[in-house]
Amino acid sequence: MLKKSLFVLVIGLSFSSFSAELVQAESQEVYPFEDTLHEERFASLLTELRCPKCQGSSLAGSNAPIAKDLKKEVYRLVKLGKTEEEVKNYLIDRYGNFIVYKPPFQSGTYILWLAPLLFFLITIVVIAINRSSFSRESDS
Amino acid sequence: MTKILNILPLVAFGVLIVVLYSFLTQENDQLESVLVDQSVPEFELPSLEDPNKLIQKSDINQLPALINVWATWCIACRVEHPFLMKLKNQSTVTVYGLNYKDSREKALKLLENEGNPFEFSIFDQSGKLAIDLGVYGAPETFFIDEKGIIRERHVGALTEKVWKEKFGKYLKDKADA
Amino acid sequence: MIPEVGHILLITSLVLSLFGGLGPFILKKELPTKKIALVMFLLVLGAFIALIYSFLIDDFSVAYVAQNSNINLPTYYKFAATWGAHEGSLLLWILSMNIWLVGFIIFDKNKNKYFSDIVFGVSSLVIFSFLLFTIFTSNPFDRILPITPLNGADLNPSLQDIAFTVHPPFLYFGYSGLLLPFAISISAMLSGQSNQEWASSSRPWTLMACSFLTVGIGLGSWWAYYELGWGGWWFWDPVENAAFVPWLLSVALIHSLLVTEKRNLFINWSLLLSIFAFAASLLGTFLVRSGILTSVHAFALDPERGLFLLGIFSFFVLGGLGVYAFKNTIKSQNSFYSLNSKEFGVLLNNVLLVILAASILFGTIYPLIYEAYTNGKQISVGAPYFEFIIFPFAILLGLVQGVALYLSWGTTKSFNFITKLTLESFSVFFLTLLLLFILFENLIATSFFIIFIFSWLIAGSILVNLRFNSLSTYVEFINRRIGVLLSHLGVAILVLGVGVVSSYSYERELILGPGEGIKFQEKEVELLGISNSMGSNYISKKANIRVSTNKGGFDLISEKRTYIPSGQVTTEAGIEAGIFRDFYVSIGDNLEGDSWSFKLQTKAFIRWIWLGALLITLGSFISSIKLLRKQA
Repeated sequence: MLKKSLFVLVIGLSFSSFSAELVQAESQEVYPFEDTLHEERFASLLTELRCPKCQGSSLAGSNAPIAKDLKKEVYRLVKLGKTEEEVKNYLIDRYGNFIVYKPPFQSGTYILWLAPLLFFLITIVVIAINRSSFSRESDS
Repeated sequence: MTKILNILPLVAFGVLIVVLYSFLTQENDQLESVLVDQSVPEFELPSLEDPNKLIQKSDINQLPALINVWATWCIACRVEHPFLMKLKNQSTVTVYGLNYKDSREKALKLLENEGNPFEFSIFDQSGKLAIDLGVYGAPETFFIDEKGIIRERHVGALTEKVWKEKFGKYLKDKADA
Repeated sequence: MIPEVGHILLITSLVLSLFGGLGPFILKKELPTKKIALVMFLLVLGAFIALIYSFLIDDFSVAYVAQNSNINLPTYYKFAATWGAHEGSLLLWILSMNIWLVGFIIFDKNKNKYFSDIVFGVSSLVIFSFLLFTIFTSNPFDRILPITPLNGADLNPSLQDIAFTVHPPFLYFGYSGLLLPFAISISAMLSGQSNQEWASSSRPWTLMACSFLTVGIGLGSWWAYYELGWGGWWFWDPVENAAFVPWLLSVALIHSLLVTEKRNLFINWSLLLSIFAFAASLLGTFLVRSGILTSVHAFALDPERGLFLLGIFSFFVLGGLGVYAFKNTIKSQNSFYSLNSKEFGVLLNNVLLVILAASILFGTIYPLIYEAYTNGKQISVGAPYFEFIIFPFAILLGLVQGVALYLSWGTTKSFNFITKLTLESFSVFFLTLLLLFILFENLIATSFFIIFIFSWLIAGSILVNLRFNSLSTYVEFINRRIGVLLSHLGVAILVLGVGVVSSYSYERELILGPGEGIKFQEKEVELLGISNSMGSNYISKKANIRVSTNKGGFDLISEKRTYIPSGQVTTEAGIEAGIFRDFYVSIGDNLEGDSWSFKLQTKAFIRWIWLGALLITLGSFISSIKLLRKQA
């Protein structure tokens, strides 16, 4: 969702004279970026990465020491030009899949992503069986 | 057919209950380390004792060993300190320290007052090596086997009980071999 | 003395509830259910008052008070601390169940005593099991003796807030209210009550429970927004999902009961949903209190209590489904209804709601399943998953709801309304886009889908004027269906809020020293200064912020509080609320000297989310009251 809001920021910039402001403001940013794409990517990553020590907060929403350290690390990597995938993999290599909120699509999690479809099929089958047994009853 | 449909919800929830029961009997409050079966990552950081000396991965050479993540601000570390001293005195295994996001002065003072169970301590003030190890707090202890491979990570104070149940088996393997 | 009195009252109600529970089943006696229900309620109320009293007089010899209160805690929070943790909140749960039961006994106009007795019996058994759990594993009246602490540990600082003190009572009333539809469905199956009668008995209570759940969840979301300090309003946290799932099922149940009552159809749906909704409610309680899930607001508890709760869950859910499978005296009906009927609309609606509920539940417990089956590997299932899943459902449910009021029972004669509906939707759609463009000088393509659904819902809910010849018949229609219209309108407004806040919000994190300013979102934001302050149980650093444009401005305060008893630090955000946009400032870290980091945000249309929730609450509550009065 934050991705969308930053996409907006980019659009907004092209409609107004914000660019001058951004350079001026850069020195006051907590995590300054020269490239708005990087800024976008950074903010997005912070909401998609989980704080390993907290009880269910993202890096964006946590002030725990480890969260701050990881934020700095993410900042360093994004500034180096790493893609979202690369940053996530870097952290997954160290902390496991726990650290990303989006579960991977691989063996062990196929069923998670396909569950709604599965439930849908089961429901349809149950309703169909129910209907057919009714018509059988009314025919006999 | 309808008879089966009538029993279906009952069966489904029965399965759910069994699954939930299995969750209850599972004990877990730690994040599993994903570095298990990998070797210690490369690094170059100053030593706690001598700021001019740089320590590298190759300096962790008295194997098998423990790498213990500790800090003066960590209360549970004080609880495990006597046990670490015991490990040193009995020469059971070499213990290397990873001083995590700490003040050099305070750390050296603590070791002076309470004793130094570590062969040496790595001074990781920024926490960079800790991140490479997947550390998320203190205390944490890693068991490194004689080939330099990480076999297990314990989160929390290292006690006699934890030692026996978690790490003891790796030393026994060595003894049997 | 008082805590012991409270304890005795609980034990007495335990015995009474067992008697009330077994009466209809084992003793087969006709019980004075009204009297028993009232006495049980008074006993539990007495115990609850005893607990409140212990808090108000700072009786730290009571362990629960010592763990959750403090001499310096403001009096209102001492009162609210009663339900601030596990034992006390459980007592509140039990009290609410008693209130629902008394309500049923007094207001239900059913003539079949056998039917009412079984409802009473089942409800008493549920109350009995919770009392048993409380007295044996979670007694709020346990004492710390012989050494009484001089002071308590303090109420968790995040709970020291008005919204958070009212959120649990409403939420628990909602959860526990699902007890009645459950008990009614069991009774229906065993007593052979006619479908029309038991469904019409159940619907008002289901509506009221749903109403409380809605406002409870809404309050939780609003609280999280301003208290947690970073502008989020829903996190797909396991505890939130644990409330969302029963909500979805209760909505499905309301619609299913409607069909059962009016058309004698969907009987199995109504019976099963009654059981599932209550099961979801019990499951939520289990998940939150058993310690198997990590969450910002799970109670930190031990697995033994979890086992007991699982036992309660198993007994009632398997018991209910067992009755459904083997002792069900209700015969299912089949009747013809075409694809273009109200019945089919409800069927679609319920299929979607149930699958969504099941998916959310599955996603919530999946990390546990994964860990068990990979021998320890861990994953997280969070917002990206749930948002991906809910999107198609939201679209489909929106499309169905839009046409709902146009469909007739059995078969709908003409489909002319589709054209008009589409035209009206597009009109609202373009008007909305125009409004957004005027407000935010921007249009974001990714929001168009949701805004269209909003428009479709508005056209379907309000502009339902096709069937009316005159304004007066339209007004009369609105009057008659006010509950439905308000709830459906609430959904529309909520949808718009969600859609707009996701796309038209902005944020920035910056460093400001006293006197420094920056331009953000067409406004000048200046840190006037940092001051020290204190409350009765905390000290704080206050940041005074001035936000101004050439047309005027406003001042905001954001605080960093350190609570003295616990040492816990919280961030209080400064919020300028607006109907179209909230301006949100939260103080971060002290960087050097008096320079601090700040997070600035604008949240567009966020209040519409809670406005929508409020309308849904009101609508369902009104419908519920109307039905209860009609019963007479």
